[in-house]
Amino acid sequence: MNLSKTLKTIRKLISPLKKSIIPLFLIFLFLLVDVYCNLTLPTYTANIVDIGIKNTDFDYIINVGAMMMAMVLIGMLSTIALSYFSSKVSAAYGRDLRKISYEKILKFSNFELNKISRASLITRNTNDVYQIQIFLGLFFTTILFAPILGIGSIIKSMKLGTNLLWIIAVTFAATFIPLFIIFIKMTPYFDVMQKLTDKINQISREILMGMPVIKAFVRQDYEEERFEEANAKFKDVNLRVFKILLIMLPVMNLILNLMIVLILYFGAYDAINGEILTGTIIAFIQYATQIVMSFLMLGGFLIMIPRVLVSGRRVAEVVNTEITIRDGPIDKIDDNPTIEFKNVSYKYPGSENEIIKNINFKLEKGKTTAIIGGTGSGKSTILNLIPRLQDVTGGEILLNGKNIKDYKLSTLRERISYTPQKAILFQGTIRSNMQIGKADASDDEIEKALKMAEVDFIESLDDEVSQGAVNFSGGQKQRLQLARSIIGKRDFYLFDDVFLALDMNTEAKVKENIRDLKENASILIISQRISTIMDADEIIVIDEGEIVDKGRHDYLRENCDIYREIVSSQIERSRDLLYEEEESNFIIDTHSLKNPTGGK
Amino acid sequence: MARKPRRLPPEKPADTRQSIRNIFGLLADYKLKLSLTVICGILTTVFSVISPLLIGLATTAIFEGINSGNMNLEYIINLLILCVILYVISAIFSYLQSYSLLQITTDISYNLRKDLIEKVTHLSMGGLDSNTRGDILSRITNDVDSLQTGLVQTFNQLLTGVVTIIGVTIMMLSINLWLTITTVILIPVAFLIIAKVTKFSQDYYLKQLEYRGRLNGQIEESFTGHEIIRSFNQEEESMEIFKEDNENWYEQEWKSKFFSSISTPLIRFISNFQYVIISVLGAVFVLQNAIAVGDILAFIQYAKNFTTPIEQITRIMNMVQTAMAASERIFRFLEVDVEENPSKEQINEINEGIIFENVNFGYNEDEMVIKDLSFTVKKGEKIAIVGETGAGKTTIVKLLMRFYDLNSGAIKIDGVNITNYDKHSLRSLVGMVLQDTWLFNDTICNNIRYGKLDASDEEVLNASKEANADHFIRQIPEGYQKELNEDVDNISHGQKQLLTIARTILSNKQILVLDEATSSVDTRTEKLIQKSMDQLMEDRTSFIIAHRLSTVRDADKIIVIDDGHIIEQGTHEELMEQKGYYYNTLNTQKGRVSYD
Repeated sequence: MNLSKTLKTIRKLISPLKKSIIPLFLIFLFLLVDVYCNLTLPTYTANIVDIGIKNTDFDYIINVGAMMMAMVLIGMLSTIALSYFSSKVSAAYGRDLRKISYEKILKFSNFELNKISRASLITRNTNDVYQIQIFLGLFFTTILFAPILGIGSIIKSMKLGTNLLWIIAVTFAATFIPLFIIFIKMTPYFDVMQKLTDKINQISREILMGMPVIKAFVRQDYEEERFEEANAKFKDVNLRVFKILLIMLPVMNLILNLMIVLILYFGAYDAINGEILTGTIIAFIQYATQIVMSFLMLGGFLIMIPRVLVSGRRVAEVVNTEITIRDGPIDKIDDNPTIEFKNVSYKYPGSENEIIKNINFKLEKGKTTAIIGGTGSGKSTILNLIPRLQDVTGGEILLNGKNIKDYKLSTLRERISYTPQKAILFQGTIRSNMQIGKADASDDEIEKALKMAEVDFIESLDDEVSQGAVNFSGGQKQRLQLARSIIGKRDFYLFDDVFLALDMNTEAKVKENIRDLKENASILIISQRISTIMDADEIIVIDEGEIVDKGRHDYLRENCDIYREIVSSQIERSRDLLYEEEESNFIIDTHSLKNPTGGK
Repeated sequence: MARKPRRLPPEKPADTRQSIRNIFGLLADYKLKLSLTVICGILTTVFSVISPLLIGLATTAIFEGINSGNMNLEYIINLLILCVILYVISAIFSYLQSYSLLQITTDISYNLRKDLIEKVTHLSMGGLDSNTRGDILSRITNDVDSLQTGLVQTFNQLLTGVVTIIGVTIMMLSINLWLTITTVILIPVAFLIIAKVTKFSQDYYLKQLEYRGRLNGQIEESFTGHEIIRSFNQEEESMEIFKEDNENWYEQEWKSKFFSSISTPLIRFISNFQYVIISVLGAVFVLQNAIAVGDILAFIQYAKNFTTPIEQITRIMNMVQTAMAASERIFRFLEVDVEENPSKEQINEINEGIIFENVNFGYNEDEMVIKDLSFTVKKGEKIAIVGETGAGKTTIVKLLMRFYDLNSGAIKIDGVNITNYDKHSLRSLVGMVLQDTWLFNDTICNNIRYGKLDASDEEVLNASKEANADHFIRQIPEGYQKELNEDVDNISHGQKQLLTIARTILSNKQILVLDEATSSVDTRTEKLIQKSMDQLMEDRTSFIIAHRLSTVRDADKIIVIDDGHIIEQGTHEELMEQKGYYYNTLNTQKGRVSYD
């Protein structure tokens, strides 16, 4: 672990706390008050015994008792105040850190999204921030409290003026050395235990998923044995680890108690010489116990730190990521714009391989352009470059002759309608989803768009869209998404293989319905299906990231080998199809079981 | 991204009494060890309860020694030695108690996990609907864990807690009645306060949880739909929604944290309050000669011993509830009926053929999936089953495997109803290759060997060659010893399918079921797999479910299923001649691609 890097991480993560300086100060203040009140009690007890009882002074005892009560009350009130401020500060901290990272992630380009992965970004923005937030709350109330109480107790016990401080030192060594050794020795076993837990999960998962196969092969016994092996080993390791860990608690108690015995023993000798009074011994015992306990507690919390640091680093990585896609100065675009690709290439930063290279073509009003090619040929990459979801790494894309990087992002994107292959809708209603395409869309406009996209399965515009739109099928989602894409008037309509999820009849209808779009705009369609693109004005055939040829269907069928190959293979395959492709009825459902312990 | 139920239901067992009975049932096997645990628990507590009294006596002796100027060192040392002995004994018993409890609980967890897995493997297919699988998995892992934790905590804390409270009360009473009463009277107050605060904070906790779920869901959704947000200039709108959800959660979250943390100062207040009362009242009693000075120290220690278990008991109550709910889920699953297999009659080969006679079947009574289905398959024939999604094609082979039992009619092999045979021996006749491959986290070699557990390396190799899998395996650096990873995604789908074919070839079954085996692979791999499957089907009685003409055309008989009925059957040529459903389907499919 690099220390300066760790410090930098911490500094970055602490920054949202800056605006909570006053509550932080109050937290510290109340903490001190709390500790102070707790620390006075044993001394008062000592005074009661050594002065009050010795002199048979009732009034003194009552007075001291009243003081103690006051301390106890003040202590409680300041602890409550402390809880109040620390709950607020830590929750606000979590809120602000979440906001900072959310805001940042919204500006990510596809490259950053894929580099860290969306699943991980979700975890970082939710769970990791929460871990840090929880830790912060604990830090204010408990972790900070322990050492302050410990140090306060040391000062107090020194003030008692005894010769017994060495006993505390000895106890300290006696508890920490064995604890440390056990902890170090056990660490590798924790790894083993974690691995075995994973193994048990894994085998259970496999068995659950593969039941049809297991039954067919009659391998029940075999599977049970496989599970048994892991299960037995897990039990064995568990026993071995805890056999040792369980020693810790009784031994710690024993050592603490022995400390008390030692204090009394040596206290008695000192008492003979008149060096110590009984009340002082009683108080000393209290302080000594507090010292050892508070540092043990602190040790327990320190174990948490590496884990929190992992979360911290994960969040810091997000917050520190540099945004690569930025606004340009131009915020106006003339009517009837054109987009031109000029020797465009793209490769992942740090990678040698160019995903696309030397791409040249032009989008203009009234023209439908299509791109066809196999999976992984770079079609989607080309499309993503237009709304600058990611930026070109070579060549340039011109909008009305100027580089698209010179335009404001929102100005550029206003003119573009983008439809990804995987349909994405947001929680809300049909209406709220359509208004993403056009903010002030009237119900009439929405209904018209829905009709054009052949959405015939909803009852009203207020129909609920649940999270992930799981209440719609893939084809339905795609049609809704299409409606969103065509509801607003745009200059460029980009469709990324959107017809794949539709059956051929629906595809034909939708295509007919949106035919008029191109009168006032230009359309770019990506597809693997010949039938989808064969009537385009220009078809670009792309293979391994490069344009092989372009032209109309008839021209390509005559002149382009790859195009011909695609056509013939698709016809062959389609002819071979008896029914629509379908999924098997033996569901081996891997997805729902991916993360069985996700809740932990 | 599937929407998960975000709001956690309050974890409470539905039938507390039953789940307690179940847990006691589990413990019944460990009577001896359990008694040992309880005895050790009592002993350790008793010994530790006595020692503060001795400490008190020693303190008194010191106090009197100071006052009188005549320290009785020998007496003090004897007391302290006795104390040390008690402490050591108490520590030993404490360890013994937790160790024997550890043995019991790890054993229980081990057995439960074993029982659960055995349950799973013996469950009928109907009991294993895909939507409950994740649930079963969480029973095997999470629920067993929470039950174990619950048991350990209950015994450790509840048992010693109760014994401590009783023991401490007795010891305190033996010192002084009034001091005891003033100390103990605060305990119910503490309980009351904790209960009130907990209930209050629980409400905020649940609310907080709901808002948190909402926020997390929103975040998940935004990052998934990132492109849409950017390309439609929705950043500000998305930020607004986020801010609102974030702020809502914050409001509930800090309150929830605050109210749940408030019980700590309250409890500390109670214990400090006790401390003050003991010091002051104790001093007064000392002056009245009702108690000795050392008794104050003893009382202070007792009072601490008193509040700690109470704090712990309230804390573990939640855990106990979770454990009971967990045990309820575990037992409910263990009570599910397993697949029955009454007949021991073995079937080892098929000589004539398979007959379906007026078969009726539905997954539930009122909805028949297969209706009055009859057909015959001769030994060695290839039979293709075609039809649209939901027509019941896969169900037919599931019935042949006896994954489900018929509602009426019969399936016969060589004239004998398959219900007369041992299910396992029946299934041993059948090999399956499905669309979704199932392989496990082990070497390629062992995955193929799954088809015949005692197969030699050479047999594995031959099967792999026959399945056309050998070539790709040899290209992997580790070859047959290549370990498939946990998600089995370090080889391609087509390669996985070749391995399952090799596995089936090795198992050398007389009947084969191929269910859409090639439908999720690309064209090139499909050709390869097709070749392997042809190899596989040679001389075997095969059921092929497919949507590709090329797979179906060569079958000895094609059965066209619609809505659970057979609407046509015959060879490809016969069906084409009939110009019925099959013919029409083929033509419309062709019509769709007639663009040249």
